[in-house]
Amino acid sequence: MDLRKLKKLIDLVEASGIAELEITEGEEKVRIAKSIAGAPMMMAHAPQMMQTAAPVAALPVAAPVEDAVPEGHVVRSPMVGTFYRAPAPGSKNFAEVGQNVNAGDTLCIIEAMKLLNEIEADQGGVIKAILVENGQPVEYGEPLFVIA
Amino acid sequence: MKVGHRQTPYPYPSAEGYNKTPSTLEGVFYCTENCAGKPCKIAKVHTRPHKALFRLLRCLSDGRFHSGQALADEFGLSRSSIFNILAQAESMGLSIHAVRGRGYRMPEPVEWLDDTVVVRHMGTAASHYSIHVLDSVDSTNTALMVAALDGAADGTLFCAEHQYTGRGRRGRLWHSVVGGSLTFSVLWRFESGLQSLAGLSLVVGLAIARAVNRHSRHMARLKWPNDILVDYRKLAGILVEVQGDMHGAAFAVVGVGLNVRLNETQRDAVDQAVVDLAEMEVTVGRNQLLADCLLELHAASSVFRQHGFAALREDWQALDAYAGRAVALTLPDSRSVQGVACGVDETGAFLLRDAQSNLSPYSGGEISLRLDGAR
Repeated sequence: MDLRKLKKLIDLVEASGIAELEITEGEEKVRIAKSIAGAPMMMAHAPQMMQTAAPVAALPVAAPVEDAVPEGHVVRSPMVGTFYRAPAPGSKNFAEVGQNVNAGDTLCIIEAMKLLNEIEADQGGVIKAILVENGQPVEYGEPLFVIA
Repeated sequence: MKVGHRQTPYPYPSAEGYNKTPSTLEGVFYCTENCAGKPCKIAKVHTRPHKALFRLLRCLSDGRFHSGQALADEFGLSRSSIFNILAQAESMGLSIHAVRGRGYRMPEPVEWLDDTVVVRHMGTAASHYSIHVLDSVDSTNTALMVAALDGAADGTLFCAEHQYTGRGRRGRLWHSVVGGSLTFSVLWRFESGLQSLAGLSLVVGLAIARAVNRHSRHMARLKWPNDILVDYRKLAGILVEVQGDMHGAAFAVVGVGLNVRLNETQRDAVDQAVVDLAEMEVTVGRNQLLADCLLELHAASSVFRQHGFAALREDWQALDAYAGRAVALTLPDSRSVQGVACGVDETGAFLLRDAQSNLSPYSGGEISLRLDGAR
């Protein structure tokens, strides 16, 4: 299970009324539970039968997701496409982590088949996290930025 | 051939210079429709070309000689101003004859854009558009984006004789020639959110190719997602910019740039194979061509609004220049995949068949022909 999928699952739990979600996929099992404070907490279970070392190595990466996605206002992608952090290859990024932005400032561009959408900050604050890498595909509703 | 007494190139600021210091006093243009003398809010554009430039050019394009003094009297300017303005025209790629004792003329008269002529060609369908002809603008897309955020209506159209920072995708420039290009942008509003617009970009390409094919013996074809090619050389490019909500109101500014007659300087400035209508022996006037583009755009977008891209998929594939060809697809993260181009799916995504005969859709990246022809 990759990080992107985990992120999506966490969002799903966060947005929904459910307190806990457990998913088993092959040998991997993931349980996401909302903590009392409201932030989702995630526990990864080691696969019961281990045939290769690879899944074990991957699991600790997934565990500290709470640190990776700080709390704050989440800016999501309004469409499926490719995520670009700069207006052109080689030019300065629209936004960096730690930067102060105002509502209306451009954060990134999402492109789908030469249809370009400049995503603006819908509220001001400090960029706490940028959740997608430049040039990567994004899904509809996928979290892109955390502003606090 | 240039005739006359002007021996040294006249010094003019670069296009970048224009961009950095937009004038708010001189050279504020208003569109020519319904706004003689009174400012038209949505079409106010700051530009650098002299404010009399395009009026002067329209006067000169009757092909006859006009003396410097007569022009000076007509436009209320000095003879040296006339001289300077026409030097600016030459710096924009136009050729002006200046002959001592006779005056100035344009050896290759230009058919200037004229909204009344476009409307006449369109007939009743003209009611779907509100046409604004601009002399000079940074970019029709940029100007229309601003107008759209300011409340411009569905069907607002900006077309420009001159763009000083014409834009392509991802920071690329769009080179256009005064009188030798057709550059315009249309605003469409949608109520069904941004996600419903996937595929719109292909629909626009289809419409423009059809408009060209009304007049051309050389078939204009499509390169995914929406370049318009003749013999694998680029005739027109499209840039669609969208804004809005995930689910609610959204708008698209659809920009089209089409090469009518390129000059050598422009050809050299472009880093890919290009073609123009003149080379294709298409002699249709720009007003007629714009009218046909608008008719085809209206027809295609109406189908798209009702039924989505799926209803236009067959039509798009009928003009696909790459179908069945061995191609490489360079993905946005610079990886490259190879295979055979197999048209598009019902969302407009590009279909590539790999060596294992697996068919995969791609909605990002850029395709290029593989010249080795390998399969």
